[in-house]
Amino acid sequence: MTAVLLVVVLGVHLWLANFGQASASLRAILGVILLGLALFHGLNGVRTVILDFNVGIQGRKFTTVMLLLLGAASFLFGLHGLWPLIIGG
Amino acid sequence: MTRRIAQIFGRGGELNPRNMRLGMWAWLVQRISGLALVLFVIAHVLAISQANLALTGPLFTMFDGLRNPFWAVNRTVLVIDLLMLGIIAFHGMNGIRIVLFDVGVGVGLRSQKVVFYILIAIGVVASGLIIFYGLPLLGGT
Repeated sequence: MTAVLLVVVLGVHLWLANFGQASASLRAILGVILLGLALFHGLNGVRTVILDFNVGIQGRKFTTVMLLLLGAASFLFGLHGLWPLIIGG
Repeated sequence: MTRRIAQIFGRGGELNPRNMRLGMWAWLVQRISGLALVLFVIAHVLAISQANLALTGPLFTMFDGLRNPFWAVNRTVLVIDLLMLGIIAFHGMNGIRIVLFDVGVGVGLRSQKVVFYILIAIGVVASGLIIFYGLPLLGGT
């Protein structure tokens, strides 16, 4: 699901980065959606790769929690980057 | 551990290049490209966000170079961007193939390959269009 959405939103992102023009609010919405999708999809993929190495139940929990924390921190950091766009500055 | 590695990469192992066919290569490259893209996304997010925080230092100078516009004039960054564009195109198009496979399109041995090559061709054309139209547009800025 996130994969299909990512292909669409990333296509729009690449298009806008190179040729397109869009209002600040549209770019802010796209930015936040792309940020969330990319981080979730990517870190969930990393989790799958790590769990394929049979890390045990404790390892699974540890991996999930650490990746969740990394994702949350990156999302907040990304939001900070998008903030001027979000508030229309 | 060593035994397991020998099992996977040794004669008859599923990741021994001599035993790997197109589908297995696609699976392997999908995983490696996915991991590379996660690093890129996090670096990309840090690069954009650190500009607002106005942090300084060599690490942040590097991040600054990675910042938008997407096609920066710095040659190293340009190489990274082109590499990432290729990786994104492969990962995305192969991902679509996997989704299509899951819904029953291109399931046969032969049709799997056909769908793979068609989607990769679409990825190459799309990347080519972005490079062709995007590069001259931002090269002068």
